[in-house]
Amino acid sequence: MTTWIQSLQERVGNGREFHFDSGRFIRENITKSWLFTLWLIILTYLTLAYTISQFRSLPFTTGVLVLAWLLTVSLTVYNEITRSHNTLTLWLRNNLYSSITNTLLSLLLVLAIVAAVWGFIDYAFLRASFTRVPEEAQAILAQFDSPGANWGAVLDNMRNLMVFRYPKEDSWRLWFVILYMGALLAASTFVFSQERFRRHRIRQALTGIWLATPVLTFMLLLGVKPVPGRTVDFLIRLLAVLAGLVALFFLSRGLLKRFPSLIVSFLVTVLWAAAAVTAVYLLRGTLVAGLNPDIAWGGLLLTLIIAVFAIVASFPLGVLLALGRRSQIRGIPPWLTYSTAAVFTAYYLYTNTLPAFAAATTIVQQLFSLWPLLFLVIAYLFQKYFKGNVVALFCTFYIEGIRGVPLITVLFMSIILFPILLPKGMEILSTWRVMAAAALFAAAYLAENVRGGLQSIPKGQYEAADAIGLNTFQKYRLIILPQAIRTVIPAIVGQFIGLFKDTTLIAIVGLVELLGVANLISAQTDWLGVRREPYIFLMLIYFTGSWVMATSSRRLEKRMGVGER
Amino acid sequence: MTTTKSSATPLTKAEEVIVCKDVQKWYGDFHALRGISLTVKKGEVIVILGPSGSGKSTFIRCINRLEEHQQGEISVEGTILNYDVRNIAEIRREVGMVFQQFNLFPHLTVLDNVTLAPIHVRKWSRDHAEDRAMHWLTRVGIPEQANKYPGQLSGGQQQRVAIARTLTMEPKILLFDEPTSALDPEMIKEVLDVMRDLATEGYTILAVTHEMGFARTVADRIIFMDAGQIVEENTPENFFTNPDNERTKLFLNQILHH
Amino acid sequence: MAELSPTPPKGQESIPFWRDGRVIGVLAQIAFVVMVVLGTAWLLNNVNDNIGALGSFRCADGTESFRCGFNFLSIDAQFDISESIIRYEPSDSYARALLVGALNTLKVTVLGVILATILGTLAGIARLSTNWLVSNMAKWYVDFFRNTPLLLQLFFIYFGVILLFPAIKDAIQPFGLPIFLSQRGINMPGPVFMPSFSIWMAFLVLGIIQAQVTWLFLGRREEQTGKSSNRGLWAFLSFVLVAVLGWYVAGGTANSQGIMVTNATRVREFGDIETLVLSRLPVSDLGDIDTAVADGSLSTEALTTASLQICAVKDAPSEVNFTSQLRRAGIPFVVNRTDRLNQATEAYVAGDCEVLVAPQAALASERSTLENGANHSVIAIAETPVRISVPRIEGLNFIGGIKLTPSFAAILIGLVLYTGAFIAEIVRAGIQSVAKGQTEAARALGLSESQRLRLVVLPQAMRVIIPPLTSQYLNLAKNSSLAIAVGFADLWAIAYTTLNQSGRSVQVFMIVMAAYLTLSLSISFMLNWYNRRIALVER
Repeated sequence: MTTWIQSLQERVGNGREFHFDSGRFIRENITKSWLFTLWLIILTYLTLAYTISQFRSLPFTTGVLVLAWLLTVSLTVYNEITRSHNTLTLWLRNNLYSSITNTLLSLLLVLAIVAAVWGFIDYAFLRASFTRVPEEAQAILAQFDSPGANWGAVLDNMRNLMVFRYPKEDSWRLWFVILYMGALLAASTFVFSQERFRRHRIRQALTGIWLATPVLTFMLLLGVKPVPGRTVDFLIRLLAVLAGLVALFFLSRGLLKRFPSLIVSFLVTVLWAAAAVTAVYLLRGTLVAGLNPDIAWGGLLLTLIIAVFAIVASFPLGVLLALGRRSQIRGIPPWLTYSTAAVFTAYYLYTNTLPAFAAATTIVQQLFSLWPLLFLVIAYLFQKYFKGNVVALFCTFYIEGIRGVPLITVLFMSIILFPILLPKGMEILSTWRVMAAAALFAAAYLAENVRGGLQSIPKGQYEAADAIGLNTFQKYRLIILPQAIRTVIPAIVGQFIGLFKDTTLIAIVGLVELLGVANLISAQTDWLGVRREPYIFLMLIYFTGSWVMATSSRRLEKRMGVGER
Repeated sequence: MTTTKSSATPLTKAEEVIVCKDVQKWYGDFHALRGISLTVKKGEVIVILGPSGSGKSTFIRCINRLEEHQQGEISVEGTILNYDVRNIAEIRREVGMVFQQFNLFPHLTVLDNVTLAPIHVRKWSRDHAEDRAMHWLTRVGIPEQANKYPGQLSGGQQQRVAIARTLTMEPKILLFDEPTSALDPEMIKEVLDVMRDLATEGYTILAVTHEMGFARTVADRIIFMDAGQIVEENTPENFFTNPDNERTKLFLNQILHH
Repeated sequence: MAELSPTPPKGQESIPFWRDGRVIGVLAQIAFVVMVVLGTAWLLNNVNDNIGALGSFRCADGTESFRCGFNFLSIDAQFDISESIIRYEPSDSYARALLVGALNTLKVTVLGVILATILGTLAGIARLSTNWLVSNMAKWYVDFFRNTPLLLQLFFIYFGVILLFPAIKDAIQPFGLPIFLSQRGINMPGPVFMPSFSIWMAFLVLGIIQAQVTWLFLGRREEQTGKSSNRGLWAFLSFVLVAVLGWYVAGGTANSQGIMVTNATRVREFGDIETLVLSRLPVSDLGDIDTAVADGSLSTEALTTASLQICAVKDAPSEVNFTSQLRRAGIPFVVNRTDRLNQATEAYVAGDCEVLVAPQAALASERSTLENGANHSVIAIAETPVRISVPRIEGLNFIGGIKLTPSFAAILIGLVLYTGAFIAEIVRAGIQSVAKGQTEAARALGLSESQRLRLVVLPQAMRVIIPPLTSQYLNLAKNSSLAIAVGFADLWAIAYTTLNQSGRSVQVFMIVMAAYLTLSLSISFMLNWYNRRIALVER
């Protein structure tokens, strides 16, 4: 201690090593502006008040922290004045003690953070019970005045949280799907990162497998199997269907290669749709879904199925909507629009307004009876804002309509209104309804993302594609969409994360996904009223999932940014 | 090399490859082209000059239908350019265009950029397309860059790839829309050299450019446009030494005494 | 020129329509329209098959029409709504129930937007703080709330926190502040606005104008003299001056508040109340009451009986105004609180209390209906524009203050924390987007820290911030529909009840969609308008 003072005095005496300008110090730290001074006073008061209140509840910890704070602050100050920083004090000076306010703020926050973290550790571990036996858990928790977490509820329900009621004897299907996906992912990561496979058939094969994967996993998860006794029949039909599909594949490729026009590609699409219907027709009766998704699917499994399905299914629809909204096709000419509107107006004026106008007793009613004139107004607006482009109009209305309403109403609509919109007697399982709703909802948001990507493509790319003679279909497939989609991959990943989180909403419409299971736990007799613990566990799952996706997407983005643009 | 070009035998009417008659175009109220009439013969090299905003780019973009003209008639290789989608496709196959901003496809390698149109439009096999592509990439002097992405090349190299991309389609007519305006001075020469070679090889060329040296030495004819009209049509010698039109003189004054 | 083309070129003949670029487009459009119309017709036909039979669009005369489908709106709703801004009873119509829901949604949205903006801005700035702890804490806040589902957060806040708060008598008071956290929700101090608030409001507006003028005036003088003056401080002080002046003027001129007493009490003005109460107490000064109670010379029962007995409407401005004045004067009182004024009057007439508190106008009309009106007099009571009402536990209830029900607190806190995290990222990105060069240029020009923020950074950052902020506000508005999960009666929750009870699913969905679309569109129109304005200022 004495040496410290001596050395300080020496330095002061020298007057050279002592770097402290009190005027500047006060100017920068206290009297910068009157608002700043006010803030400093408030902060000082808050810090003091909080420190004192913490002393009362946690005297020892608080004492140690305050002492440590005092020590490091004085060390930093000393080193600052004598210009003899080491790594630690330099870091402290730059990051914690750069000004009086920051120094006070650091103390305040350290105390608060330590209190919060300690509180959480205390709750989650020290006063917690980890046993899966409810009675033991009660006994353990009863020791404490304010008992902590009852993790047994989560551990005991782990299978429920993961797959809920998926039959135990069918578990191999889940393991198979996990292994299959893992292997496929690993293989693709390897193949697509290697330059030597650029034009290799293996890449095409992998792409094919990826395209087939959704259908395959779907059938696996549904427990699809041949009807007992018709296995051979099924195999024969399956072979026929596969052969047909392969033939169709080559046929359509040849057709598209020879006649690459919009009409042919439309025809090919129709052909494929017809083939799909035929395949279903052929296989009907030989296959049976072993599981009812409304019952068997649940927990994290259902969450993932819905999120993945929604994003995959919404992709083509979203791209189409985006293209439709931006489409430049020649619109319906004004004369046709106005004449059609005029016909409607005239018809309804005659059949509807004439009698209503005569019968009207008030001016308001008379005005309302003139509603057919709205046709003309709509026609005018349509020509003004959409230049007669019905496709753009439709896509814009769909996108903005869906984006304007909450997901929860769309989900309820799927549950309540879908049955009404379908022909009488046709029933769809709730799971399918919710999945369709999620996909239709996601498509509108995806369309906006893709539209952003399309907007970022310079006009020159369109012109170059035109100039080298590509037709519209080729232009979008080969030039525009690959670039547009690449630029919006981060946005799409962001949207997928959003969707992953939004699947929790289906708990409200009655399907039992992760959150649904968590809510059910508190109703179990063994774990009555245990709510916080499952929720905390879920937060962990969602946080890890979203965080991993966000981070890896950022990494991917960085890697793709190199070299390719 | 250029002298052989000008001493070529006079061309017959059958070899008129581009015929424009009274072409008019409006952007809204703005009258961009006010009756352009021009006939281009096979193998001719025509340079279009004019102040900015005079409609010269618009005009050559009308020839491969990147812009629609609203009045008059354009026919290329005997095919009339109208709303018939088949005619448009036919003409675009035969007319190549090189842009000021190169407009290469950034997501494809140089080789893919060059082979894309031959494979998908001309229906060539990939091997044949790649063969021809390498031929042209060698001609423009950058065969070693074939597997790079456009973003990794310099401006001059990119423009040469763009020229190779156009030539691999084996067009009969080449349109150049200010091909050197976006380049650094030291890169202009490498692109002009390629263009000069092409001019000697019998391609019909329409070029919008500000390179007076190129115009003087390579062009068979020079067209001077102002305010959407052809003001003067002349041989290079006459154009630069003894222009007919006052507007041309003013323009040349500004350009040459800059 | 015709001789130039000896043979007619290809394409001269008229173009077949399937190759004509003009016709193809229009044909595609018409085909699309036909497809959409056919699809819609099919769906409508199905709807007709399915619910036409249920008679949901049937009129009273047996015909079916679109309009008649909405007749159910005038039927009695017959369900209760836990909280409402406007008066609502189960005997009100479905239409009114839906209106209550819409107003509740609006309430959550508006409060949420304001609070989330404040929180998000603070967190966004904290993210950029030079203090390592501050920026990391903000980062963790943002990361955590952005990466977990909102619904999960809502459930946690509602079931895992608010519903586990202690009973009312053990209510938690964080940091000793007058904020009470209990199973009943959150009770905290809040302003009560008197009628004279409108006068004060006028003064506040005047004060803002005054501050602006001062600001501009000093700014001009700064420009002329080249000397910087503390114009922020002076503008603020001038505003405070006007506001304080306005406070006294508004309080002094207003005489809307009053009390009614029987003439027998001999109370003629506020000061007489003290005399009245003192006359019933064994002390000579109100300040001695505490000591008297402490030394036992005055029992609590005696004090209660001696206290001023008041009848008033619960939490009405009049009550808050009067009782807080009594409290300041130290006069002991007991309030008999009722829900309606007529109940209060009845209690007063029945002799339950000596004083009836209400606005003067209301008292005058009540007096005229009293049997013996001449025996009662109405006395004007001073008022201030705003009184802060602090919650107090009385019996099993909280009196005064602002009350957030558990449901409302959960949805509001959840939305604010969640949206705030997103806004923080937007604010951070916006500030960072203003290139460092700009900041350095501003420093080089010798602008002060605050000038730099105000003149250089903020205007540019705002342009980057506003568009994504708009979509966050929209998300907040839409996410407010999750209120149904925590039992708050927002638009969707009430619509869902209506739907289940009335069975008019199609109509209810149409109403809900229209309402949410209106809300979304108005938010985006407002912010687009603002965005255009600042974009214009910039260019």
